[in-house]
Amino acid sequence: MKIELMKTLFAATTALVALSGTAFAQGITDYKPVTAEMLANPPAEDWLMFRGAYNNQGYSPLDLINKDTVGKLQLAWAWPMAEAGIQETAPLVHNGVMFVQTNNNIVEALDAKTGTLIWQYRHTLAELPAAWSYQINQARRQKNSIALYEDKVILTTADAKIVVLNAADGKLVWEKQVLDYNKGYSYTVGPLVADGKIISAISGCSIAGTAGGCYIMAHDVNTGDEVWRFNTIDDPENPAQQASWGDVPPENRWGGTPWTTGAYDAETNTTYWGVGMPGPYSELIRGSGDGSVLYTNSTLALDVATGKLKWYYQHLPRDNWDLDSPFERILVDQDIDGVKHKLLVTVPGKNGIAFALDRDTGKYLWSKETIVQNVVKSIDADGTVHINEDLISHAVGEEHLVCASVSGGKLWQAGSYSPLTQAYFVPLTEACNTVAPTQTEFTAGNAVGAVKFGPRVLPEGITDAGLMQALAVNPTQGESKWQYRSRPSMTSSVLATAGGLVFGGDAARAVKAWDQETGEVVWSQTLNAPIGGYPMTYEIDGEQYLAIPTGYSNAASSISSAFPEIPLPTGAGNSIFVFKLPKSN
Amino acid sequence: MFRFLAPALFLLGTGMAIAQTSGIPPEELTNTRRQAGDAINVCVDATGQSRAFDLDVARAIGDALFLEIKPIEGFGGFPVNGDGFMDELTLAMNNTCDMFMGVSVSTEAQVSEAFSITRPYVNIPFVLAVTNPDWQSLADIPLDQRLGTAMSSIGEMTYITWAEQRARSERWIRLPYADPDLMATRVLDGTIAGMILWQPALAKLQAERPEAQALRVIATAPVAETAIRVGALVSSRNTFLRNQVDQAIDALVADGTIDALLEQHHYLGHAGE
Repeated sequence: MKIELMKTLFAATTALVALSGTAFAQGITDYKPVTAEMLANPPAEDWLMFRGAYNNQGYSPLDLINKDTVGKLQLAWAWPMAEAGIQETAPLVHNGVMFVQTNNNIVEALDAKTGTLIWQYRHTLAELPAAWSYQINQARRQKNSIALYEDKVILTTADAKIVVLNAADGKLVWEKQVLDYNKGYSYTVGPLVADGKIISAISGCSIAGTAGGCYIMAHDVNTGDEVWRFNTIDDPENPAQQASWGDVPPENRWGGTPWTTGAYDAETNTTYWGVGMPGPYSELIRGSGDGSVLYTNSTLALDVATGKLKWYYQHLPRDNWDLDSPFERILVDQDIDGVKHKLLVTVPGKNGIAFALDRDTGKYLWSKETIVQNVVKSIDADGTVHINEDLISHAVGEEHLVCASVSGGKLWQAGSYSPLTQAYFVPLTEACNTVAPTQTEFTAGNAVGAVKFGPRVLPEGITDAGLMQALAVNPTQGESKWQYRSRPSMTSSVLATAGGLVFGGDAARAVKAWDQETGEVVWSQTLNAPIGGYPMTYEIDGEQYLAIPTGYSNAASSISSAFPEIPLPTGAGNSIFVFKLPKSN
Repeated sequence: MFRFLAPALFLLGTGMAIAQTSGIPPEELTNTRRQAGDAINVCVDATGQSRAFDLDVARAIGDALFLEIKPIEGFGGFPVNGDGFMDELTLAMNNTCDMFMGVSVSTEAQVSEAFSITRPYVNIPFVLAVTNPDWQSLADIPLDQRLGTAMSSIGEMTYITWAEQRARSERWIRLPYADPDLMATRVLDGTIAGMILWQPALAKLQAERPEAQALRVIATAPVAETAIRVGALVSSRNTFLRNQVDQAIDALVADGTIDALLEQHHYLGHAGE
């Protein structure tokens, strides 16, 4: 009895500590608010949002670290992440402070010059019952982005909340329960703050309870009040969208998750988001016949004031292979012969095909294949995508070899665009797998899964899993500028800089710098784990820093059999490594 | 006795739907052996359709083996595409569960190095439930009516396989449902003519919703009947337990214990394979 009582008391004490939220709160005394003007035109020394700027280019105008100096980079500091998890973090820097989120929605503020912890916020997640294994699984992923606005840090959580912290000390300012996590809703992508709104998108859209509703949403940045929501799988205002699901009514539709933080064009007040695959994966199971199942695997352009759809373009209709297309949408402006061209450039999906669209109209401009893929047969001049119908299964168990694989191809690892060289740098993996619709009834009478994927294998004739693809981009075409192939798969997003470099890394724990023009590797450093997350750069007191996340990587483990000579660490080792140049004096 | 294992083992390592969440950070997997004496952790899927029955069977197995059964709501609640499924199952079997009840023993059974499957202790059918009193079998339902199926289930697979061999005009339009409760609502409000689901799911609905008493089971002809053999997973760390459980199941099938539990829970089907 006494022991039980002591256990109870101990548990209560632990709970109180956990509930207290901020574990360390030294505070920042001179924090300068991030204004709307700064978000529109980010200072070169900062990295204020997911990919550095609203255009999602992943480009920094800093150039102290360049082709001539990069070889002198030295480790400035390193920091272990607060928890184990899948390393997808996107650090931000402002005011000399690095804000970084780990899995389970732990946010830390670090002195960006020294790596010293300033404060830590631990979100008190609902204790997830055993019945919510999917949410537990999702919470294990380190969320890809948070947002800075005024004197606040804004995050979206695994229990479907928007949480707003005081940037100076990490204390909770307000939080809002956006959707019902009891139904299965969960955030896995971070927010974008624009036009006084927090714009984000919900995940969990493949849970039974979320049938018929998967949303991109806007909330008032000051109050959290919902301003609008757009349903990616049920648009009553577009009969073509409804018809594209055949006989399937909204309550029997799943999927359509926007997995990556969108881009924003202030000039037209438009936000651009990519949407993922339909559920179930196979049309044989989902009952949608030969319908294109809109808006899955599409780019959506939404009016930020109203949430109304301006246009959509579907990159992969009638997906049967979980080759979702939700990845980064990059906004590119090019002036050619006095004419301003406003492009949206993207490798949106796992099949690795690059697309360029006119971002004001959604008009298809061009496409370009990169890795080996066999699901898209052709794309017409008007942008109509024709899939390879030979790969559609017409019987349960009918198996096809599909390239790219369910692991990509392209995955969440974002490419970057350099205005310096007008090139788009994309980290890719060569991989195929067999796909067969099936019934998977683990718990009797309570089935999950409608497609069986075989192990990831290299395409025939390919011996290197990794591909860094540089595409020369203009309004009329995207052509290969150079390719860098490697045995290990690429595992991180990439960063382009005005120093003429592209930074990224692979499963062999190597962070590399490529010459943007030639693809030559001009610097490489082996770290503790596969390179992950979103490398970024910033400047303090006249010194440029380079931040590289490392840690546990699905992109490494899923295709590791293709490079057995490169052992993966058994410890995750999730960390941030920060490099800088030695002082000249 | 072990013939069902061959196809299951063949599937070892074939993987699962992973989309964006596959992989288990190594720190999540414990490397310890439980010191539990004569007690074993028995897990069930918290969203399972036959949890109470399965736990009764587990208690009977425990009684037969002189083991104390500690029920644990192991895991569950997966997305319709199975994303993350094998990760969490592997974690549960590695870290928590000695035995996991209510598992479908079939060629589609998911296996990994973390667990193996026992022999089945019960065989329970899928059924077609309707409200229209004039219909005695699926063949009586007009072809312009719609059917619901339990998504990704073996019962659905049987229907799809049958339907794919016929012209569109000669088969019923089928809508997949992940939630049996919603599917029953749609049968009751006439949106769909009938639903194909596992019989324990229907028994659960009828126990919890008075209006569901209007649902009655009719023959699935011309579509073949489908049944699930139900067994348990046992942690690979304890092969001795696996053999003991198999022997206990044999005894409980032979002495009528399982059949009595079927009757008690209003389930169709029969004990054993």
